[in-house]
Amino acid sequence: MICEKTKLALQNLFPAPVAEEVPAEDTGEEKDKKAPKQPRLNGLLECDYAVHGYHLDAQVAPDQLLNAVTILDESEFFLESITGVDWIKDNQLEVVYDFCRYDFDLCRVVIRTRVDREKPSVPTITGIFAGANWHERETHEFFGIKFAGHPHLVPLLLPEDADFHPLLKDFKA
Amino acid sequence: MGTQNVPSSVVQFALADKLINIGRANSLWPLTFGIACCAIEMMATGCARFDMSRFGAEVFRPSARQSDVMIVAGTITKKMMPGIKTLYDQMPEPKWVMALGNCAISGGPFAFEGQYSIILGADEFLPVDVYVPGCPPRPEALLQGIIELEHLVSDWKRWKDPEAA
Amino acid sequence: MNSPIELQPDETFVLNVGPQHPATHGVLRVKMEMNGEYIVNAETVIGYIHRMHEKMGETKTYPQFLMNLSRMDYLGALGYSHGHVLVVEKAAGIEVPERAEYIRAIMVELNRIASHLFWFGAFVMDLGGFSPLMYALQDREYILDMLEAVTGSRLTYCYFRFGGLYNDIDDEFIAAARSFIPRMRKSLKKYDKLVTGNVIFRKRLEGIAPLSKEMCRKYGASSAVARGSGINFDVRKNEPYSVYPEFDFDVPVFHECDSLARYNVRMAEMEQSLRIIEQGLDKLPDGPIMPAKKPKLIKPPAGDYYQAVETARGSFGIRLVSDGGKIPYRLKLRSPTYSNMHLFDEACRGMMIMDALAFMGSLDLVIPEIDR
Repeated sequence: MICEKTKLALQNLFPAPVAEEVPAEDTGEEKDKKAPKQPRLNGLLECDYAVHGYHLDAQVAPDQLLNAVTILDESEFFLESITGVDWIKDNQLEVVYDFCRYDFDLCRVVIRTRVDREKPSVPTITGIFAGANWHERETHEFFGIKFAGHPHLVPLLLPEDADFHPLLKDFKA
Repeated sequence: MGTQNVPSSVVQFALADKLINIGRANSLWPLTFGIACCAIEMMATGCARFDMSRFGAEVFRPSARQSDVMIVAGTITKKMMPGIKTLYDQMPEPKWVMALGNCAISGGPFAFEGQYSIILGADEFLPVDVYVPGCPPRPEALLQGIIELEHLVSDWKRWKDPEAA
Repeated sequence: MNSPIELQPDETFVLNVGPQHPATHGVLRVKMEMNGEYIVNAETVIGYIHRMHEKMGETKTYPQFLMNLSRMDYLGALGYSHGHVLVVEKAAGIEVPERAEYIRAIMVELNRIASHLFWFGAFVMDLGGFSPLMYALQDREYILDMLEAVTGSRLTYCYFRFGGLYNDIDDEFIAAARSFIPRMRKSLKKYDKLVTGNVIFRKRLEGIAPLSKEMCRKYGASSAVARGSGINFDVRKNEPYSVYPEFDFDVPVFHECDSLARYNVRMAEMEQSLRIIEQGLDKLPDGPIMPAKKPKLIKPPAGDYYQAVETARGSFGIRLVSDGGKIPYRLKLRSPTYSNMHLFDEACRGMMIMDALAFMGSLDLVIPEIDR
């Protein structure tokens, strides 16, 4: 099964093995009473598809990103989308990559990476997936994340001379 | 010697003007300028069931220099606005503008607090003659807008106004 | 076949197609660097109808956002609404009654046929044939009549609710749908005779813009763009959702990779949608259309949720990031036309401009969906 194969390949990126458990994102009653949630560490999680809609969820450091994406490219995944999320309370920006497959061996993989909100910079994956070009331009113009090595990082949906980043949580029109 | 009635100028234009205006009203050529959802209703109006051709207006001209009326159908964004102004300037006189749909009238459902990308209505930078509300307006509403525009262009009415009778 | 002459780099000229252009299906601009009739380089400029849907996803509550999906792709609006209600129902754990799911599937398939009919008319009009547009839009009006009687709108529906629907279908709708199916089948035969066999049409499309499987994969193409290149990918079969596993239908796949293959895929899809509607009407269960217990305020637990559905234009995905509140923290709309359009720049190098526009038509673009 491609899911198992991909899981093992992605797991090799991380130094220590990660326990496979139900992801801690579903906050139950107990969690609210505890101390503020610890930030999630880099690692691989296997998610419940019926609840979340995807199978594997890997959080990587920005410099491991190209390795993770190369693994998926070699296994014939296709790039579904790239987007950003502004975690203003943690002072971080997250870039989320969605991958899926064309064949009937269904496996949805999410790769995420977190960067500092002040100087966000992530390597580009346009060398591996040419379709990342527009996705990265859009993520750049809406969140201000710089994609190092991108051939043409100019605004895509906003006017060419736009210098604001609308989807940041502290954006004022 | 009696008084003689001398006409003020050699050529009288009034009757010719009236006839020309009736001709204009019956053959308003719109510019193919569908921006968003309302453009689909505009195309449906031009097609078989609603048939704008009965009113002489089915000849959509792709070039602004050959059209009479610009039907602004859809939301106007700040990026698109210079283009629309250029198209309006390219149209020869006499020209009219119809704002089709809520977005062209006042921004529509996209005018929310914190919006950064759209212009709140075509009348911010164009002189609009007819407003057709709806999201999107039905093809019959667009036809009513064309008829209102015809009344603006000339005095000639297609049918007696039932309320005035 | 003619071929371009060799030119110095500064002897090309830039031709600007759009944003106002009859063939660009909306406000799309393509800056083409031309060598006579041949395209050396093309750069697509989008954003002329950027209407801030994702920003509205972060400022509106879940029910308030229901209307946005129809404005995103107005031709196949119900498919997009379906994806949205499914992801929120998945996140918040709302059960949907079976009758509501069947009605949703029937409506989405009717909408798919309407969208393909409009695409068909506009596509052939781009190539120069004006008559099929009239016939196709007339057929589409029958579908719109049916949908309007139930939902209240012709184009921008706000019909699905979290948990089901707001209005049930009646016998009139079922009778109209049943009589529509044979009429549509006759029309499809008519379009076959009028258009598909036409020698001018075939010469305009055969061999034009071949897209390899690898290119489709790198760009994430879906719908007819992928299925016309031999990739058997349809979210309804690969990743089934709602009641689609109950239906027996095929996924048309053509292997020629050219524009004619993409055209054939969509024409065959209309027939398959008719099959689904037939089966849906036969199997329609009785029952409620909204669940008995529904939360008053939709507040999904914190986390990431993803749902993909097959719309008329391809695999539409919604990624919902919730922080437990009544407004989504982040709502990402993955638009299929965005990925399909992206490969235009690379694929149209070296083509003649008339072939490039035929290619653009075969991609089935709706620009507000690209710009969101």
